[in-house]
Amino acid sequence: MSDASQPDADDEFPIDVFDDDPGFDLRSGSDSCYKCSTCDTNCPVAEVDDDFPGPKFQGPEQWRLKQRDDEHTVDESVMDCSNCMRCDEACPADVPLSQMHNAARGEYVDGMSKLSVKYWRNRLLANYRTSAFLASKAPRLANAAMNFGPARWLLEKTMGITSEREFPAFATETFREWWTRRGGADGSRRRARERRAARGDPRDADKKVAYFHGCYANYNTTEVGKAMVRVFEQFGYEVVVPDQKCSGTPMFANGMLDDARRHAEVNVSSMADLVDQGYDAIASCTSCSMALRQEYPELFDIEGVDEVAAHTFEAVEYLRVHEDLRGALADAEIDGALAEEFAYHAPCHARNQGLERQAVELFRDLDDVGVTDVGDSCSGISGTYGWKEEKYNTSMAIGDEMFDHMEAAEGQTGMTECPTCAMQMEHGTGYEVRHPLELLDAALVA
Amino acid sequence: MVSPPHVVVIGGGSTGAGIARDLSMRGVEVTLVEQGNLTHGTTGRMHGLLHSGGRYAVSDQVSAAECIEENRVLRDIASHCVETTGGLFVKRPEDSEAYFQTKLDGCAASDIPTEVLSAEEARAVEPHLAPDIEKAISVPDGAVDPFRLVVANAASARDHGARIETHSTVTDLRVEDGEVVGVEVDHASGPGKHVHGTEGGTEVIRADHVVNATGAWAGRIGAMAGVDIEVRPSKGVMTVMNTRQVDTVINRCRPKGDADIIVPHETAAILGTTDEEVDDPEEYPEEHWEVDAMIDTLAELVPMLRDARTIRSFWGVRPLYEPPSVDSDDPTDITRDYFLLDHAERDALDGLTTIVGGKLTTYRLMAEAVSDHVCERFGVSADCRTADVSLPGSEAFSVLRDYMDEFGLRSPIGRRSVERLGSRADDVLETSSPNPTVCNCEAVTRAEIQDAIGQSGSDLNAVRLRTRASMGSCQGGFCCHRLAGELHDDHGEAVVREAWDDLLRERWTGQRHALWGEQLSQAMLNYALHVTTQNRDNDPADGDPVDFGAFDAGVAADGGDQRGD
Repeated sequence: MSDASQPDADDEFPIDVFDDDPGFDLRSGSDSCYKCSTCDTNCPVAEVDDDFPGPKFQGPEQWRLKQRDDEHTVDESVMDCSNCMRCDEACPADVPLSQMHNAARGEYVDGMSKLSVKYWRNRLLANYRTSAFLASKAPRLANAAMNFGPARWLLEKTMGITSEREFPAFATETFREWWTRRGGADGSRRRARERRAARGDPRDADKKVAYFHGCYANYNTTEVGKAMVRVFEQFGYEVVVPDQKCSGTPMFANGMLDDARRHAEVNVSSMADLVDQGYDAIASCTSCSMALRQEYPELFDIEGVDEVAAHTFEAVEYLRVHEDLRGALADAEIDGALAEEFAYHAPCHARNQGLERQAVELFRDLDDVGVTDVGDSCSGISGTYGWKEEKYNTSMAIGDEMFDHMEAAEGQTGMTECPTCAMQMEHGTGYEVRHPLELLDAALVA
Repeated sequence: MVSPPHVVVIGGGSTGAGIARDLSMRGVEVTLVEQGNLTHGTTGRMHGLLHSGGRYAVSDQVSAAECIEENRVLRDIASHCVETTGGLFVKRPEDSEAYFQTKLDGCAASDIPTEVLSAEEARAVEPHLAPDIEKAISVPDGAVDPFRLVVANAASARDHGARIETHSTVTDLRVEDGEVVGVEVDHASGPGKHVHGTEGGTEVIRADHVVNATGAWAGRIGAMAGVDIEVRPSKGVMTVMNTRQVDTVINRCRPKGDADIIVPHETAAILGTTDEEVDDPEEYPEEHWEVDAMIDTLAELVPMLRDARTIRSFWGVRPLYEPPSVDSDDPTDITRDYFLLDHAERDALDGLTTIVGGKLTTYRLMAEAVSDHVCERFGVSADCRTADVSLPGSEAFSVLRDYMDEFGLRSPIGRRSVERLGSRADDVLETSSPNPTVCNCEAVTRAEIQDAIGQSGSDLNAVRLRTRASMGSCQGGFCCHRLAGELHDDHGEAVVREAWDDLLRERWTGQRHALWGEQLSQAMLNYALHVTTQNRDNDPADGDPVDFGAFDAGVAADGGDQRGD
């Protein structure tokens, strides 16, 4: 045996492969894989596409086989992965599958021709925030132009963006515009104090949350963002809405890790300051909370990233942890448009955070409302995936089971936490789709 | 023209295969006999280091100079067996500075190019090196696949007319009038390709000369002719890691010691080793503490090894030899140089030459020395060409291909396949038939498996050595049965089952010393799968074959009811 002293982890030169490192070495992640293939049997893409080699190949096998110095060994099929991350949840051995997929996709895209149409199509889709920002400047015009038939035909032919789908409508007033108009953080603090007094909470109770609304609640479904603010204030929480960019979810899925990192740096920086001051970060979109919680710390070495991840929650999850939500709902009544039967689909990314049953359990005791779980299949759209002309059929084939189950369930309204799942649910069934926060808002606030 | 002499070479390791190639290229008629598979002995049980000579630059500069020269030759003639990884001699704070300097000077004296790297530079090359290393010397070490190397040498020998017999044990040397005139061989399954279930037989192979290239077994062969060969077998343990923690050969820069090298090898990394004299090259203790101690010590260089997954461990025996007059006590003091024993001169026994000592990196040089010696005896004047003519598979080739376009393979699978097959890739991989991946861990496709079966008969361990199939993370848990299936229809069920059992047995053997952590989970899963789907937990004492007729016969041909409905 050697008499050498054990290397100290806090030594002068920490071993950190991510430290200003242009690439990842995730080969050691394949040590955990014992090849059981549970990930493959849970992969929605593999289920409908026999040519897709599956997450076990994309992750642990590919990483073990690829060579460190050779960026050309990542197989093109990694682009067929929809980044639903179901494999993460399926794996009994904690193989970092989605991290391996994200990193491999990043490498593959790095090697892609920057002149190819597909690259720019993917980049356009991945940077939805930029498009949405521009569209929000003239929302009515954008809504008309974006779904103008000949324009869509051209978009499919030249860019490979499917003309089968309708672009989501842009709100005439963004969430942030509404927020400012409503008095911003000062207004929220005042309303929260009033509610705390009414509820009998201590006046200076430590109830402070920072809302990560993401792109969709800001530009499209602003009612979700508004519901979030009203519901949290109802329980006495002060809400702040810090500077933020895209969560990066569509960028991970398209291998645009540099773009994702730029956005993540802004988000982590503004959230980390607030977490230091005692705020928790709340998202209403389950993919956004997933990005902050899991993908950021897996992919980026940004100061404060772990603290932010540990303090990030999905909105309903947070209230279920800290408030007697079921008690409040048991006493609540609901009427009007939302006294409905809902066909609820749990997004894959909600599933990964252990949230797939929360809406069903939560609304069980709410009178005049029924929530039916439409099963554990994937919706198939996976953000930008289903928007790609060549992926559209795969996306719809994956969604088939969900469409069937929605139609078999009572009622004609869908419910989900994920904005793009909602898009797919609506596309496949024609149902209007609501967010659980909207129902909470209707039951507890309105 | 006089008919060429016939030489029997005993031993199918790197030296024996190298001699067979060299002699047959010079026009000598050669028969090579090996008791197991090619590489069955020491060659198949080494860490795969292609020495730069750096390891011998202080203690044994003759060996060091030979190593660097042969290193350059093999990069050229055996390119598809060699990965030019480069190597580092890493100095930790407690390692001697004086030795570091002596190592540098020794390399310079042996013509081994070096460069001194600071700790930061070394970690830029290998990020997982310990944070407290001081500095390193870079040398042109490499990794060599001993299986592929020997198979290629044997294939080349066969191309030049040699007869290669594996699973053929030499049971006696024929000595007549003070001269070895042949060997008695016990073929496990008859001559030719090894096929399970074929009746074996004995054969007397007469020869003009016999070469004993059996390494650690040389004493045993010598004894058959009454000569004393004092080989001093020394065992060393090697542990295979599931992935590569390093892409460069990592040596500890200190005087000879145990556990001082990590060799990246294909998808894995191999840790080595220890050095302990044993009495018998086949019967010696394999002890778990040897593995533990090695991982602990090497973790001083690469801390992540402490928690990394090992997939198996194996022991090899070095065929160390020293002239009886030296009489070293410690096997680490015994020279790594090779010795050619001319028994005519040494023991007044004609017809036998023994080659002992040496190392894989210098196999070609050893083969050349033996071949020169044999050719001189028989007046064969042909020159040695093994340093200039590429091995089959190592002719010019590129690994950067459009794997999907050319072979219909996913890129990492195509890349690994082409690297293994070298210039044979197009011949083997271009197929119009379906070509599924048979071994997922090592990315081996049916086409490559079939190519190997074509070379080696029903011996799936020989297929494994040629392709690496079943040598990855799951250690054959998910592919042994698929490999066995590939033997059908050319071979019947009995042969397939026996070949399958052999492979499984071999795979389990090496995992005994890796059964903790992840590999234990793997073994449990493998066992469960094999039990529940292959009846592998059947009681061997029960003896009754499975009555397949008792099972549901499936849907009747007319699409009618299933039996048992």
